[in-house]
Amino acid sequence: MPRKQYQERLEELREDVLYMSEIVAERLRMGMDALDVKDEELARRVIEEDAEVNQLYLELEQDCVDLLALQQPVAGDLRFIAATFKIITDLERIGDLATNLGEYSLQAERDVFPDVDAQRIGEATLEMLDDAMTAYAEEDADACYGVAEADDDVDQLCEDASAAVMRELLEREGVTEEDVDDMMADVSRLLLTIRDLERVGDHAVNIAARTLYMVENDDELIY
Amino acid sequence: MTDGHGQADDGIEPDGGEATTEDPSTEMAIQTDVSESVNDSDYTREAGTLVEARDVSVYYNDDRALNDITMDIPENRVTAMIGPSGCGKSTFLRCINRMNDMIDAARVEGDLLLRGKNVYDDDVDPVALRRRVGMVFQKPNPFPKSIYDNVAYGLEIQGADGDYDEIVEESLKRAALWDEVKDQLDESGLDLSGGQQQRLCIARAIAPDPEVILMDEPASALDPVATSKIEDLIDDLAEEYTVVIVTHNMQQAARISDKTAVFLTGGELVEFDDTDKIFENPDSERVEDYITGKFG
Repeated sequence: MPRKQYQERLEELREDVLYMSEIVAERLRMGMDALDVKDEELARRVIEEDAEVNQLYLELEQDCVDLLALQQPVAGDLRFIAATFKIITDLERIGDLATNLGEYSLQAERDVFPDVDAQRIGEATLEMLDDAMTAYAEEDADACYGVAEADDDVDQLCEDASAAVMRELLEREGVTEEDVDDMMADVSRLLLTIRDLERVGDHAVNIAARTLYMVENDDELIY
Repeated sequence: MTDGHGQADDGIEPDGGEATTEDPSTEMAIQTDVSESVNDSDYTREAGTLVEARDVSVYYNDDRALNDITMDIPENRVTAMIGPSGCGKSTFLRCINRMNDMIDAARVEGDLLLRGKNVYDDDVDPVALRRRVGMVFQKPNPFPKSIYDNVAYGLEIQGADGDYDEIVEESLKRAALWDEVKDQLDESGLDLSGGQQQRLCIARAIAPDPEVILMDEPASALDPVATSKIEDLIDDLAEEYTVVIVTHNMQQAARISDKTAVFLTGGELVEFDDTDKIFENPDSERVEDYITGKFG
């Protein structure tokens, strides 16, 4: 194949992005587990190891800049690099959101709203991320639409969870003056958890949208 | 014996006969004698440096074409030289294998070291030097002889022993041409396409197993597909040879080189650095203006 070295560098970039997505998915899983079982050590690991994700992000960004500056990519190659440049930002932000989960886990002392199933939302967003990255790896345009549709379900789960929190709050009886501050902290933390998971879903949609642009030059999912 | 008359552009003395009579010990001196290298106490050669220029200036009569060039060319890397016409980049390239010797009006000052040995020392035979420093030119210049003889030429003039068949095959393979010509080795090199002719010239240049390959605009006369093949080949060649290439095509320099030297008007080397540094964040504003097309 002509331009062998260039083709190899494109392939390396694709593989490195997939590696980064695996690391980010692992961090998200760790953040959710830390939250689920109040594992302090796991929570601290998620927070500390975010530096690795940030470093990967910077390296891949540099790889994209190098390819743009030195190899004059055009057409599909250009869309691949342009899409990748955006996708790694989404992955890095998912990594940040995973560290948020670790921090919430460290702050939480009790499970105040057992009816809210944050784990279920987290599982759904992890699946979206996996589907989006598979679409990227396999250049599968149809799968991109599937990720966007799955986000509607996640948004609904998040909306329901937020409503459940508010309802529980309003219906709760016997709250003493001393409990109010703790409850406010618990509620805001839980709502932030829900919001962060919802944003993981949004980033997965962004990845799918950029992948669709990459594969078919179609900006339908970019908004 | 192949006659080299009229082939001065090949970087080999026009008189092929002279080459066969040279004293082998002269070549040995070039290859091994580093004890007489220039001793500049302020300068320590970088590990992996093959060619060093120290304050090299070139004059054509009284006109200075190159102005105090100092640079280290790394071994087994591709070093590109870019710059506007008349900036001296080709003049510098031709200093490395003393091609400027063939121009009566040219005078070279400074030191040009190959493995620490000044190639302009009196005991250096230019013919022997050019075996170690091969050259490929802008316009493919195969001899009007068979494909086989074109590649074997360099071996014949040095009176090399051994199996020419094997070396010819290996050289054509390294030049990524073997598969296309293996069944027509007796046919004229001139019957090949332009891109094939250029790869034939590269095969001819590498047959004597040089250390450095100089390329002066090697793809500028070729179409994009042939250019792409030459560029891939350059990348492969750098695994075994040190490649120094002059190109007007900045994008080509960006694609294929590890280091880039930017020469600007007046024969001045303005910046020499890793290629990604030059094309992403050059130190010199003049270099930035040149590579972004603001002048030149």
